[in-house]
Order: sequence, then structure tokens, then C-alpha cells
Amino acid sequence: MLFALVPALAALTLIQQIDSTVPVEKGQRLEVDLFAGDVDVKTWAKNAVRVVADPGGPGRVEIERSATALSVRTTGRRGPPSSTDITLTVPAWMALDISGVNTDITIAGARGSISAETVQGDVTAEGGEGLVSVKSVQGGVSLTGAKGRIDANSVNADVEVHRSSGEISTETVNGSIELVGTDATTLTATSVNGDLSYDGPVHAGGRYSLSTHNGDITLAMDEKTSAAVSVSTFNGEFESDFPVTLTETRKGKRFNFTLGSGSAQVTLESFQGTISLVRPGSQHHRDRDHDDDE
Amino acid sequence: MSDVWTDRLSEYLDDELPPRERAELESHLTGCAECSATLAELRRVVARAHALESTGPAGDLWPGIAARIGATPTSRTEGRRSAGAQGRFTFSLPQLLAAGIALMVLSGGSVWLLHAGSAATPVASVSPQPPADSGLGTPVSWQRRAAPRYDAAVADLERVLAEGRGRLDTTTVRVLEQNLRVIDQAIEQARRAVAADSANAYLNSHLAETMRQKLDLLRQAASLVSAAS
Amino acid sequence: MRSPGAGATALPHEPTLRTDSDAVDATLAASGDAHAFERLYRGHVNRIHGLVRRMLSDDEADEAVQDVFVRAWQKLGTFRGESAFGTWLHRLAVNVLLSRRETIGIRRKRHVEGDLVLDVLPGRRATPEAAVDMEAAIARLPEGARQVFVLHDVEGYRHEEIADMLGLAAGTSKSQLHRARMALRQHLER
Repeated sequence: MLFALVPALAALTLIQQIDSTVPVEKGQRLEVDLFAGDVDVKTWAKNAVRVVADPGGPGRVEIERSATALSVRTTGRRGPPSSTDITLTVPAWMALDISGVNTDITIAGARGSISAETVQGDVTAEGGEGLVSVKSVQGGVSLTGAKGRIDANSVNADVEVHRSSGEISTETVNGSIELVGTDATTLTATSVNGDLSYDGPVHAGGRYSLSTHNGDITLAMDEKTSAAVSVSTFNGEFESDFPVTLTETRKGKRFNFTLGSGSAQVTLESFQGTISLVRPGSQHHRDRDHDDDE
Repeated sequence: MSDVWTDRLSEYLDDELPPRERAELESHLTGCAECSATLAELRRVVARAHALESTGPAGDLWPGIAARIGATPTSRTEGRRSAGAQGRFTFSLPQLLAAGIALMVLSGGSVWLLHAGSAATPVASVSPQPPADSGLGTPVSWQRRAAPRYDAAVADLERVLAEGRGRLDTTTVRVLEQNLRVIDQAIEQARRAVAADSANAYLNSHLAETMRQKLDLLRQAASLVSAAS
Repeated sequence: MRSPGAGATALPHEPTLRTDSDAVDATLAASGDAHAFERLYRGHVNRIHGLVRRMLSDDEADEAVQDVFVRAWQKLGTFRGESAFGTWLHRLAVNVLLSRRETIGIRRKRHVEGDLVLDVLPGRRATPEAAVDMEAAIARLPEGARQVFVLHDVEGYRHEEIADMLGLAAGTSKSQLHRARMALRQHLER
């Protein structure tokens, strides 16, 4: 079976486990399109992709190699394909483009761009450089160690971005967003029904915008940060671990204050939650205190 | 090489001659080798025209278009059809204009809403600078002017979702509807707050932002329907 | 138009496969979704580029195609789904091209001297390249004949539609088409 699939379309009837290894060249991307079943992507040092597929029923796994991509998809004989778990081992440089419907997506060790999207299922990705986009509708999204322009979205669950850096944009409706150990040069975090927290550097010239309707916002900063901060709430509260001097107060609970020369622009908005400024690193203690109280 | 009938050959070929002239021409063709030959050539020209292929542009023209409509140029991957292809980056200010909502960032960092007006087409980029004219609408006038376009976009997407919900998993439909309710509730609360304090820039921008989230989620839902079809 | 059995208006050469997803993408794009619009672009760019290239010229084509899609984005709100998106886009493209022609018409006029060009064409029969290159031959047609030929024989519009678009009498459209075909038959492989 080895190398038998190159370069034309090969359609394999899934009767037993598939285990194929296909050579790839720099610049080729991996495209995976799955209806149901899990996708697990790992990396290795070879310039080849190993595809291991576990059959969940009748259906086919199609592996197609073009000049620009290696694509793997499942097709059903009639109607949607049955559930198939696919494990892929790819070179770390390979750009990944993975989409599924009833699919959990797990990625580890990627060093290229990532686009991973599912509807019902979680996305858990480690790595990714350049454009990194991870999305789920019903499931949670967790991204660790990514660099570049990061887009992490869910609708009905939480989004976590850990130990990542770059321009970060993240949104959910009915979940919380947590960015810990992450270095955002610009940040947009939006939820309707969830809490937002960012614990990382606030860079000069950066724009940081955290906005929620029903949730709390926790931002780690200290007096040494240089930022113009704008805080807005309708029914919520504002609290700070250190004293701030309000430079402008507007009607309602809206006010601005400046730390240092104010080179970063920070906007914090919660319609009816609590907005807190905490010292860096203290967020977890605070959470734990909370847990102890309960 | 031409006689009176030569000029009618194209019409004959396209079946556009009245029956009598058609019959006359057909009888002429039997006796005129030149016209018959010309007709055969014209037929080949038409066949060749039908067979012409459109190979498309040599380069990718999308980045130029994306720049002009104010969208973020995307990689081909991002443009690929897939579930929930909308991210936060996709909804730039110019696209908000498409929904009839304009945000203008003033120098003080406050966000004001402008009514979109009839001239508000999603073009080029909206730079974060103060508006040149005194086009600052009161929130009330903004809502009156922009609401119909927003409502139309929402209604269109809701129709797509209603018609296509059968193609989606029932739990997905339930989750989408639940989240739409969450957003609707937030919109309602924001609306009431704006009604009580219509000059409050935060409340106005929060209302617009929440309305944007609804539009965004509806678009995502419509994309799921589209991907499932 | 969504009821089963109802016929959608489509150009004769319109591929119908795209239609359903196009309708959804058009709705999405009208709501401001640039990704959906990019999908529409990718699905239709080849055909629009072919139209534009043949109606104008190779060097103007890329720029004009961009104009067409920018205009389409601006006009999406007026697409109500009565026809297939491709049909709507195509019609819009023709309008963009015609208004473009008006603005650069003076420059073009100098290169195209009506019947003169038709008379020159047969003389090139000796060149084998010219004999096989239908595209090049189309490009050398006088503007009026070329536009009618492209719209009718390549794109599948009817004379009434072409007359309406170009502001001609239907009879003029027919005679221009015939002129074009007569000129082009010289370029067929023998």
C-alpha cells in the first residue's frame, strides 16, 4: 500500500484499517474533510504523511494528491459517510486545513498555518504559525503555543488560548474566554454570556478590547503598564488591585484613566458584569480563593 | 461571393427567419453551393464560439477586490467553503456598513454611531478619523435609518436558516436557536438601556456590537446550511 | 423559485449546479460576509473573466473584472434571487463593461475603424497562427460586432436582450452578429 496512491486519485474501500504513507513536498498543504469521526494530527520529521483510518462502517476514505495539497476525505455510498476516526502524522511544516461536522479535532506540534473547524466537537490545537484559525460551533476551542494571527471562535462553549503570541481575535456567544500566559500584540475578545480574562503583556501601541454582555472581565496589569484605559458598564462594577486616577468620568458607569504615558489602548466593556484589574499572575490565586469559598 | 441570401444565413442558422423566407432560403441552398458552404462555415464558427473556454485570470484578483471592498484578504483556505467560515476578522467596519450600521471612532476613543444613509455603500475603508461633516446622527435617527437594512439582512438569513434547518443536526439547530435567544435578550436589554439614556455612546456601541453578533451568528448558521446542502 | 419543479431563469450556458449554494452565499454576502463573497468570486471569476476579456481586451481584463466584483458587492442588496446569481452577475458585468466603454470610448475609437478591420481580416488567412486562434480573431473584430458576437454566440444572450443592453435595434444586433460570423469564418482551420 505504501506510496501506491501517488499521484492520482486513489479511492480505498474501507473494509479494514487503512494505513498508508504518502510522500509530500514542501509547500503542499493537508486538507481533511470529515463528516463524522475524530481527526488526530501529529507531526514527525519525515516529508511524508501517514494516514491511519479506523472504519466505523461502510464508506470510503479518499486520498488525493495534487501539486499543492494532499487531501483526505470520507464519502458515503449513500447519504452522509459513517463515522471514521483518522490519525495523521505529518511534517511539522505542513499547513493544515481541517474541517469536520461531528468531529473532535486534535493537533499537536504544527509549525505551519492551521485552519481547523468543526460544528459538534472540540478543537484542541498545540502549535501553529502564521494564520491560525480554530473554530467550533457547539464545542470548546483550546489553542496552545500558537504564533501569528490567531482567530479562536466558538458559539456555545469556552475558548482558551494559552502560551500563544501575536494578533489575537477571539469570540464566543455562550462561553467564556481565557487567555493565559499569552502575549497579544493586539487583542479582541468578545462574548455575550461569558467571562473574559487576559493575563499577559500589554504592549505599547497595542489595542486591547474585551467586551461582554453578561460576564465578568479580568485583566492582569500593574502600575508600570503604559496604557490609556477606558472602562464601560451599565449595571456592573469596577474593581482594581491598585489605585487608579480617573481622568474623565462620563454619565453612567463610564470612565477613563491613564497608566504611564498611556501608549496602549485598552477598552473594557461589560454591560452587567464586574470588570477587574488584577496584578499579573494573581488571577489563578483569585480563582482558587473563589473555589475555596464555595 | 454574396447574393441576396448570404446576409440571411445567420438568421437561418439561429432559426429566426419567418417560415416563408425559411422555405425560400432552403430551396435556394439546394442550388447554391457557395451559400451552402458559407452556411457550413458559419455553423462551425458558432460551434467554436460555444466551445470557447474561460480559463480565468493569470493571477489571483481576489486580494485587490478584498482591499477595495474593505475585507481582509484571506488565504484560499479561508475562502474555502466550510462550516462556520466567519470569524471576527471577517466583519470589518465596511461590512458593518453593508448592514447599515456605521461606527466612527472619534479622536477621544469614544465610539459613535452614524446613520448609514443612502450613500453608505461598503466601499474602500473606513478610517478611524473624525467625520468631516456634521453627520453625527443621534442614536434615534441612526436606528430609524439603519434599522430597515439591518432587519432585512437578519430576515434574509433567518429565512435561509428556517428553510435549511432540516439539513442540520437537531442539536445544532437547538444550540443555534438557544444562542440567538441569548443574543436577542442582550439586544433587548441594550435597547432598553439606550432608550433610557440615548446619548450614552457606550450603550449605543454595545447595542450595535450585540446586533453585529446576531448577524454574525446568523451568517454562521446560514453557512452551515449551505455547507450541508 | 424554491418550489420543486419551478424553472429558474438561467443563461443557456449557465451551469445550474452552483445555483443553490450561490443563493445562500449571495444572502450571506449581502449581509456583509466577505468569505461568502469570496466563494462567489471563486465560483464565477473564470466565466466573468472570459466575458470581460472578449468584450474589452487582455490588458484591461483584470482591472475590469475587479470593477465588476466590487460593483457586485455594492449591489448585492438588489439581488433578490429571482434569477440565478450567475445570471444576475453576468448582466451586471455587461453593464459595468458598457459604462467602462463609455469612459474610455475615445481612446478605443482610434484603434477600431469599423469595416476597415473586417476588410483586413481575410488578408491574414495565410498566417497559420491567425487561422487557429479564434480568440485573437474575436479580439480583432470591430467593437460593435465583437460585443454582439460575444454576447450572442459565446454567452448565449438573445438578440432582444442584447439590443436592450447595448441600446440597439434588434435588427442591428442581428446584422452585427452576421458580420462578425462572416469575418470569423475566415479564421477556421481549413
